Amino acid sequence: MVLKNNPNPGTDMNDGAVRITDLIKTYTDDRGRPTFTAVKKINLEINNGEFMVLVGPSGCGKTTTLRMVAGLEKITSGTISIGDRVVNDLEPKDRGIAMVFQNYALYPHMSIFSNMAFGLQLAKKKKDFIQETVSRTSKALGLDHMLERKPQALSGGQRQRVALGRAIVRNPQVFLFDEPLSNLDAKMRVQMRSEISRLHAQLGNTMIYVTHDQVEAMTMGDRICVMKDGLIMQVADPLTLYRQPENLFVAGFIGSPPMNLLKGKVEKEASGLVFREAAEENGVVIPLKGPIEALASKVLGKTIVFGIRPEHLTEESKNGSTTPVSSTIDIAEPMGSESLVYLRAGTGNLIARIHGEALYHMGQPLTVYVNLDKVTLFDTETEGVIQ
Amino acid sequence: MQPRTRLLIRKSSAHAVLITVCAVILIPFAMVVLASFRKGNFPPSTLWLNPGQWTLDHWKYVMGIPYREVLNATTGETKLVSPAVAPLRWFLNSLLVSSIASFGIILLSGTAAYAFSRLRFWCRSQILTGLLVLQMFPQILTLTAYYRILDYVGQHFPWLGLNTFPGLILIYLSGISINIWMIKGYFDTISPTMEDSARIDGASRFQAFCWILLPMSAPIFAVVFILSFISMISEYPTASVVLQESTNRTLAVGAYSLLDEHEKLWGHFSALAVLSGVPITIMFLLCQRFIIGGLTAGGAKE
Repeated sequence: MVLKNNPNPGTDMNDGAVRITDLIKTYTDDRGRPTFTAVKKINLEINNGEFMVLVGPSGCGKTTTLRMVAGLEKITSGTISIGDRVVNDLEPKDRGIAMVFQNYALYPHMSIFSNMAFGLQLAKKKKDFIQETVSRTSKALGLDHMLERKPQALSGGQRQRVALGRAIVRNPQVFLFDEPLSNLDAKMRVQMRSEISRLHAQLGNTMIYVTHDQVEAMTMGDRICVMKDGLIMQVADPLTLYRQPENLFVAGFIGSPPMNLLKGKVEKEASGLVFREAAEENGVVIPLKGPIEALASKVLGKTIVFGIRPEHLTEESKNGSTTPVSSTIDIAEPMGSESLVYLRAGTGNLIARIHGEALYHMGQPLTVYVNLDKVTLFDTETEGVIQ
Repeated sequence: MQPRTRLLIRKSSAHAVLITVCAVILIPFAMVVLASFRKGNFPPSTLWLNPGQWTLDHWKYVMGIPYREVLNATTGETKLVSPAVAPLRWFLNSLLVSSIASFGIILLSGTAAYAFSRLRFWCRSQILTGLLVLQMFPQILTLTAYYRILDYVGQHFPWLGLNTFPGLILIYLSGISINIWMIKGYFDTISPTMEDSARIDGASRFQAFCWILLPMSAPIFAVVFILSFISMISEYPTASVVLQESTNRTLAVGAYSLLDEHEKLWGHFSALAVLSGVPITIMFLLCQRFIIGGLTAGGAKE
């Protein structure tokens, strides 16, 4: 596959870097009165050639941010620069970007060829050049035999590939993706996911990818920016995000099944420190020992959230600091290689990811071991991690 | 009763109803067509033509071809009949006015609908509602005002005053609010990401409108064009007030002039009535290929 268009001579290595500074977006009604603020003064630096994923629940401002980078949405305040240029007042076509939309946004009355060539024709490129670029790109995407067809005659995956091709022929510095896989079926989504990743590896362009799907975020991003209510919660590479969430939101949002989060207090008992879940009666009690003890002693008596990933609840005691918790099985979901077991411990619920060699039954008692080295404690007031 | 018999009865009664309805629609039409080929200027009476009654006189009259009319069958006295103004002229007048005004309506209501659908500005929804309210009043209410305005304008720009086609077209162009609503409704169903995508491809707002939104909206424009074309071909009150010379009458005004109080020329009228259906039919056939579903399919997935 040869996808890369002739690189412009003399281009700076920094061309595709995107810097967002103090960005605010406030929407207004017909009369220009502010209605609500979608993006609340965010700062984000995206390196040249980086695959940055913006992820968050709907309404978190991720798409608005992307549309402001594209130039489709006016910036209320702050600056966006691409390369060394501030692009706040530039038209979308002058920003060196290309965008792929969730609903493909292909021109239904044009053939696939015209869809891909439209931008080049508007830029008044030579006919030969357009022909050559479109046919090279369509060949690489496996679309070369359907150039004369209308979008209507294509499947969802093919349509999104056309949209991808339309972005590629523009030879942009930065690719913008707005939930491009949300309309595809599960199988197609997995395939297109790897195709986009491969595209990134080949082209080496900066890509900004918006999604609400944390699996897409984890599998595709060099770095992930988690957003909520118009604010950035954390920016990090996928594994850091997973292992060291900076706050409760990221801990709960990233990971499937989600992290177990128990609200309660650290108390001192005769045997040492314990975490006691806040409940009328029968709360889970987890003895704390090992390195976690030092951390827990700092928040003695305070209400905190105790976080543990499902895979760190194991069926058997392992070396290191583990502590048993007795529970009964509520639901078991055998997946073959592993089983997801929904446990009832005291009044709370826990999810454990356990190896899949045994079948579990409802109501069966099970003692799981909490790996205390992997526990994260959160402050309930600030929702930040306790360090 | 056997289920088969019951089905048969249900089917035949349904067909009887349908045939009756068709007859109610078609018989008057057939009567007019026959009357246009019947000798003499009588109101259409029967659904039957005796061989001796056939004539093309009415059609000749309408086309402006002189013909001889028998005045007295016994003496064989005839008269050369030649209309002062051929009704065909009225027909062409109507064609001209309706086509230009329909194109104008599409241009004005299309651009206005774009603004209402895609742009945000002060009082947008109030103006939209206002348009709808205005449309509730029949245009005929403002006829006296139009008359005075055209009279006044004509003193300064004679080509735009009373008795001119541009003057009439100008009045027709004022009745577009319902069309704005219809086109806006259609634009609202087209995903704005289409134009976003075009803007990223380097199109200006106007280019995106012309090359993306307009072709995708062809069905609604065809509908608006047809509807305004038909309404203008058959529009009487305004045209009768604005156009007062027999040479520049439109079809509806001219046709009505054949039904004078003292001399009702039913035969001529019938021929002209049948002729007036021709441009509407042709226009409909031309527009029909745009009025097809699925034109916007495949571009965006909702």
